[in-house]
Amino acid sequence: MSCGNPQAEPDALMQRKKKYDKTRNCVRCKDAIGNIVIRHAVYCKYCFFPLTTHKFRRALEPNVNAKPDGPRKTALKPAGTLLVGFSGGLGSSVLLDLVYKCYVSLDKSTMPAEGGRDHPRHERVWKKITVCYVEVCDAFPGTPDRTEDVTKFVSRYDELQLATLRIQDAFDPAWWEKIGGRMSFADIGVSLADEALFIGSLTQSHLDPLAALRAYLSSLPTPTAVHSAIQTLVRVLLLHSALHTGASHLILGTSLTSLAISLISGVAQGSGFNIREETSEEWYPDTGVTNVPEYWPDEGRKGKRLKRTVRVVRPLRDIGMKECAAWAWWSHIPVVGKETWLWPGAKPGIGTLTKEFILGLEQDYPSTVSTIVRTCAKLQPKGEVEGKCILCGRPAQRGVQNWKAQIAIRSQPPPPPAADARAALSPAPVVAEPPFQASLTPYLCYTCHTTLTSRSARPVPTPWPDLARPSVVSLPVWTAARLSVSAESEGAEMVEPTDEEVVRQRKMGQDEMKSIVNEFLLED
Amino acid sequence: MPPRLCALCHAVRAILKRPKTGQQICKECFFYVFETEIHNTVTEAKLFKPGDRVAIGASGGKDSTVLAHVMKTLNERYSYGLDLFLLSIDEGITGYRDDSLETVKRNQQQYDMPLKILSYDELYGWTMDAIVTQIGKKNNCTFCGVFRRQALDRGAAILNVDHIVTGHNADDIAETVLMNIMRGDIARLGRCTSICTQGEDTIKRSKPFKYAYEKEIVMYAYFKKLDYFSTECIYSPDAYRGHARAFLKDLEVSRPSAIIDIIHSGEAFEIKEDVKATQKSQQTCRRCGYMSSNELCKACTLLEGLERGMAHAVATDRGRKKLDADDHAPENLRTIPFFQLPASSRPNSTAPIEAAS
Repeated sequence: MSCGNPQAEPDALMQRKKKYDKTRNCVRCKDAIGNIVIRHAVYCKYCFFPLTTHKFRRALEPNVNAKPDGPRKTALKPAGTLLVGFSGGLGSSVLLDLVYKCYVSLDKSTMPAEGGRDHPRHERVWKKITVCYVEVCDAFPGTPDRTEDVTKFVSRYDELQLATLRIQDAFDPAWWEKIGGRMSFADIGVSLADEALFIGSLTQSHLDPLAALRAYLSSLPTPTAVHSAIQTLVRVLLLHSALHTGASHLILGTSLTSLAISLISGVAQGSGFNIREETSEEWYPDTGVTNVPEYWPDEGRKGKRLKRTVRVVRPLRDIGMKECAAWAWWSHIPVVGKETWLWPGAKPGIGTLTKEFILGLEQDYPSTVSTIVRTCAKLQPKGEVEGKCILCGRPAQRGVQNWKAQIAIRSQPPPPPAADARAALSPAPVVAEPPFQASLTPYLCYTCHTTLTSRSARPVPTPWPDLARPSVVSLPVWTAARLSVSAESEGAEMVEPTDEEVVRQRKMGQDEMKSIVNEFLLED
Repeated sequence: MPPRLCALCHAVRAILKRPKTGQQICKECFFYVFETEIHNTVTEAKLFKPGDRVAIGASGGKDSTVLAHVMKTLNERYSYGLDLFLLSIDEGITGYRDDSLETVKRNQQQYDMPLKILSYDELYGWTMDAIVTQIGKKNNCTFCGVFRRQALDRGAAILNVDHIVTGHNADDIAETVLMNIMRGDIARLGRCTSICTQGEDTIKRSKPFKYAYEKEIVMYAYFKKLDYFSTECIYSPDAYRGHARAFLKDLEVSRPSAIIDIIHSGEAFEIKEDVKATQKSQQTCRRCGYMSSNELCKACTLLEGLERGMAHAVATDRGRKKLDADDHAPENLRTIPFFQLPASSRPNSTAPIEAAS
């Protein structure tokens, strides 16, 4: 009988699978011994750098000129400056290094060989590059402030300017005014305790931004909602900062791995309609709530001036997390690091679960992340757009509330035709028609509405349990401003695969059925 | 503390918390909302027309047992005017199908519906036990899945029905959306959230439980005291699907709406036009007349592989292509009977069943 001990019995050990396809030599230069395996292909350290730079340029440069994918034979001419969204994590640290080497120091090793020394491609593309860091430590208890570390990190790269924001700026009227935002005329907020999301007056006007942020986060129903809300706040803060600094492009350090995670996580949160924006996005600022500068589309200042937009690009979208780590390691980049957004008692949200799942799956199926990203790139939104969501600024799909109402009944419907007997036995109590109250719901996309309303089966602890939770909480400044504008303009109250399986049959007893649904049964 | 009243009728004590909405409601309201949501799904998608002959794919498991009950209830309550049948497939797995087929036979009597049981043995000349004896446990899911899909259509053709309804629930569909994204199956991703599928040469097939949570189906069976058999793969669980299923369950625990949110995502995107243009067009199998994306349909290829003792080779795409290219099938090869759509499956002009205004 086998004891299964590999030392005593060599056959007990599973044969180690080769991580690469054919040879140990670099597939590019065919000469040097490889140093890294990128999805079955072996690369040496010297070929790795030009390969990664090529992938970076290939993802970014077709999006630099105002007309994407247009002719770029002469030069790259962006309509404005560049804003780099920096989180302190691995991806954004590598991104910053690449941006600096390719567009500031004009490092020769990152330049394409063809075209000669004086080719216009070798000119500086961006006149000004700003790095924007949003510090989120105030959203979670006990999280260290990394602003100083980030300042030190960015100072390694001369000519790059650093702009720092704090997450609570999203609730700060002073910040909003400073960047040209239109002030909300009334202190309006929303009641997150009720699924109806009624709009109401804030009990305490001019609340401190930090207190407003914490009250907002503490009122959210799930850890998923807290994470999702912070991601949205950071994204919109970066977009407004880009607009304010005259940037035509906002680039983010989302690696191939992070992109796959955010795509699956987005799908799991209902954002299928915005799957395209998850990869690249053209943001049109709301001219009703913020001052949108104009620019001349042509150098000769001819033609009509255009309103500024911000193009969001993820230039690391073809570079996996492992390649980012190799770049950072071999380039000696001291990555600042990012805190995990956790608080006592918090269960992992959809984002965290998706990350764990994808990273685990990638070990057995190394092409998974690339497959996810390539599959999602073949998709487009279906259905009509009904304006933009006032919380996240992304296109909202028409008819989502009707869809939700149709598939899940949440109020008592009229009795069915054949249920007369039951209706006669237990007449429904007369419930007075509630007075009309404005709701935030019609202004939200599916994902944001779900974020604010979808609850866990069990109550979950909030990041700030001791905080007094007002019935009406503040909204981000851009949302409050949009609601004010809407109210003003309306002049009134607002308003199958085939791979099925062979099965084993087992009769289900009442007890067994009960055990499956037990957590949903209320005690007698 | 006074008992909490039902959030819907406000009259009776709540006894359960709905997995789908989190609302605390009473038993009668649960039955009513569960059934009405299925009715909404049926009418919104205009699935049936009065007089349609509809086969319920019945396995004896929870989904199909509840589906038979709900279809019968709704057909009577809303006067759909449907002729309902039960259609079961016997894969030929010794000792495992027998009990569940008993459930189906009991349903036949309870609901007074004609029942047709079609076996793999009858149709293909092979039982799953015999297939597993030849190919082992690996890859047998491919055979079973392909054979079952055709068997349902062929059974429906024998019953001369217009429409097959299956018990695929919201969890199944959400899981399939995730699976298809992760394995890059763009063609299936494009159609897996459709409530109804019908090609030119196939019988209409739909999923009235598309938005029904698996937990609510079990809850319905529990409170209605319907008995069913739980289903578990004994031969070879699809490891990749297992990962997706476990992930979905984790998501559901974290936020129960995740299931419906994934389905919403799947409905809110579509394949880009230029990608669609590169997809293979459907044709009919030259041997058995069933829909196929190649010269030979999957079932014919797999059956030929079994008959020629090279079933392992045809379980892979490459092997199938090789067999496709090799046109020298033995003369005495057993084949699947030629498939013909029932006469009743032709389009008729009757107005579909819609919600009463």
